[in-house]
Amino acid sequence: MAHHSFAAEFDATQPIKLTGTVTKVEWTNPHTWFFMDVKNEDGSATNWGFEMPGPGQLLRAGMKRDSMKAGDVVTVDARRARDGGNRANAQTVVLTSTGQRLFGAQAR
Amino acid sequence: MRIFSIAVWRSGMFAVALICATGGTVAAQWLSLPLAGTPRTPDGKPNLSAPAPRTADGKPDLSGIWRIDNPRPNEDLLSDGNSAPMLPSAAALYKHRVGTLGYERPGTFCMPHGVPDAVTVPSLPFKILQMPGVTVVLYEEFHMYRQIHTDGRQLPVETDDPAWYGYSVGRWDGDTFVVETAGFKEGSWLDNHGHPHTDALRMTERFRRINFGRMELAVTIDDPKAYSRPWTADTMRFELQPDTELLEHLCENNRDLGSLQQYWQGRDQAAPPTTGK
Repeated sequence: MAHHSFAAEFDATQPIKLTGTVTKVEWTNPHTWFFMDVKNEDGSATNWGFEMPGPGQLLRAGMKRDSMKAGDVVTVDARRARDGGNRANAQTVVLTSTGQRLFGAQAR
Repeated sequence: MRIFSIAVWRSGMFAVALICATGGTVAAQWLSLPLAGTPRTPDGKPNLSAPAPRTADGKPDLSGIWRIDNPRPNEDLLSDGNSAPMLPSAAALYKHRVGTLGYERPGTFCMPHGVPDAVTVPSLPFKILQMPGVTVVLYEEFHMYRQIHTDGRQLPVETDDPAWYGYSVGRWDGDTFVVETAGFKEGSWLDNHGHPHTDALRMTERFRRINFGRMELAVTIDDPKAYSRPWTADTMRFELQPDTELLEHLCENNRDLGSLQQYWQGRDQAAPPTTGK
């Protein structure tokens, strides 16, 4: 649950699914953010930022500070930023190497 | 008010299981620990349907960590089909807030939810500490607190120092804890949709602990500068969060602010003046 207006920043009608390599995790309040490089067809990479709940909510859902680290390859289901920037609100995060769901938006 | 003790820790089978499960390390400080004073079923789990605890003076003890049982009240204090009796100025402001998807909602700037909605944040619990003379509410959101005085002091008739959470006194009406609050400043929203209030707001909250695991709250809004008559929000229901602690939630990384301000750029022109001014 966002502390701010979700609808003004992200578009629930713009789902996006991306796989990439984590470059940074900001385990911070009021939101955790992580960044990952997504490979483009020409071989270059685009860095995306994903918003998640803050650490408290993630900890209570079973995620830990070191569950996702730079270098990990993950697949993210997200809702894209309204302004079309390379940012999104993560709904689920799955670790490619094990298939483990690190984060899934709560049912409520 | 519960204080963690080594004796309880060592005697609890849950504690042993916890240590085994975590290998003796604590991943998140006190995220999960057995708290003294928690009634338990034979298998050691918290008995949430046990009777509400009582303090030495026989009153129900509201102390504990609580969380709203559904996200709706945080969005709107009223369920679908019900509307607050807003005066035209309040209605215009409310319409603007809804139409702009929350233009300048306080949380955008890491200002906290106020009264009553700080207890409605679905993901962030709050803790009640009921003590002689004062009941303290610790809100996990942004590490805030509020005091409800029960030492017999009177509410200020007028204050030259209005406050975000106002000034609160509490008394018991049978088993219901009745909190009266006045001396609000404008700024907080009553809910995320943006029901406004003015400095004329007086609020009555009626807390009732149903049993160990459940608590209810009825809130009445009386603000003659914003509403044509007092109105009562849908009853809020809370679930006790057993065997855990509040976690830190400071606004250290507000990455959303820039993109929200960008979204609202140009959309704020039609903003009506603040109510009551």
